Amino acid sequence: MARWGMVIDTRRCVGCQTCTIACKQEQGLPSGTAWRFVADCEVGEYPDVRRVFLPMQCMHCAEPPCVPVCPTGASRRRADGIVWIEYNACVGCGYCAVACPYHARHRVHEAPGYFSALTPSEVATAWPERHDVMTKCTFCKERVDDGLAQGLTPGVDPAATPMCSVSCIANAIIFGDLDDPASPVSKALGDGKAQPLMPECGTQPNVFYVVD
Amino acid sequence: MTPPVELIPAQRQRLWGWQAVVNFTLGGVGAGLYGTAVVVAGFERGPSVVLASWLAPLLVLAGFAAVAGEAGRPLRGPRVLWNVRTSWMSRELWIGAAFVPLIVADIAFPLRLYRALALAAAVLLTLAQGMILRRSRGIAAWDAAVMPWLFLLSAAVSGSGAYMVLEVLAGRAVAPAVIKASLVLLAAALGLRRAYVFTPAGHAFRDATASLRDGWAGRVGVGVGTVIPLGALAVALASPAAAAPAAAMAGLGMVAGQAYFKTELILRAGLLRPITVPALRMSRRLS
Repeated sequence: MARWGMVIDTRRCVGCQTCTIACKQEQGLPSGTAWRFVADCEVGEYPDVRRVFLPMQCMHCAEPPCVPVCPTGASRRRADGIVWIEYNACVGCGYCAVACPYHARHRVHEAPGYFSALTPSEVATAWPERHDVMTKCTFCKERVDDGLAQGLTPGVDPAATPMCSVSCIANAIIFGDLDDPASPVSKALGDGKAQPLMPECGTQPNVFYVVD
Repeated sequence: MTPPVELIPAQRQRLWGWQAVVNFTLGGVGAGLYGTAVVVAGFERGPSVVLASWLAPLLVLAGFAAVAGEAGRPLRGPRVLWNVRTSWMSRELWIGAAFVPLIVADIAFPLRLYRALALAAAVLLTLAQGMILRRSRGIAAWDAAVMPWLFLLSAAVSGSGAYMVLEVLAGRAVAPAVIKASLVLLAAALGLRRAYVFTPAGHAFRDATASLRDGWAGRVGVGVGTVIPLGALAVALASPAAAAPAAAMAGLGMVAGQAYFKTELILRAGLLRPITVPALRMSRRLS
């Protein structure tokens, strides 16, 4: 069984938000909701100031605090490490959102369009079952599963890889099987520069960052 | 030790609002009121226990109803009972679901056993509510080991306060033992609250709890919820003639103080953790 993970190299990220838009398009997210975004961070004090682009999303933790707190069992973790939500079981209580240290969970009360009325494409991509429940990044599990069913390799073949990784113009988002030493993501992890965010939370994220 | 570099600042959580405050407050007052009445009556079925037996379930159920309205899909509410194995929200509902029928059973067929079991359920209900916050790892101010005990003591304080108010309204004298116990509970709650807000739990916790520790809100909460009730209880003990109004005033302050504390805890201290990295190189990169 694979263990899906990601390495995000912030040294390469230029903050273009292509991954944000690709995710919104792939998942049909309504306006005001983004399962991932690139934070434009200014840190330090003059004259030692830096600008850092930090792509943020669900970390698909090995010890996800969002899963055990879920009172309905709608928040789940697959054997391959993907943390997901069974929309039809979710009550939308928001407990998982306050349990997540990475601001990764969102609730959409309604699906506002970008214009006064929903466009035909917004109607076509609407997911009524996602209204009023919790939502989050799924590592594009449908793409991964469909790709595997076709004999493709997630992280190598674009059709089996999360859209954020596929769309990144700088190849800053590397996806793949963390347990496969030959996968690109394992090689990116291999030099020891990539670290999880906030390891002190004890969540053991499967998304790692190279921050210089 | 160098603090981690904060890349994304703490943000106020917006999913749990006043409905959650109402649930935590009414749950605490209801459980505390029932517990106080039963303990003071020595598990006998006195008039105070009868009154608390009607009021406490109503308060707890009103809290559940309020928080159900906060959920995105409230009609799926019964599913909340599902994950009792790991979720404290499920456990809270199960305990509440046991608390109410036990009291109803005691009303219909009075038994000390029902009262003892309902008292245990009341204690567990407040602990479960504290554990709900304790397991909210995304909120630094809530993810504190002391949280369930804070909730338990808060319920005891607000419950004894409500008990004294109801006794005065019913025209009954508040026993000196109750006043002395309330003094002890108030002092203990204040001590535990100080221990909580001064916990050396890191940068995110310190920032989130600043208003409870140093702010105007914290001072008013301690003043109205602790200092004034302590003074009023002292007056009630020293002067039997003024005991009734002083106890009622103390009781009102105790209920209001605990409600205010929970409001501040949920709404003001409920900040999602800042996103940090251990270290960043600040010098200019060569390109």
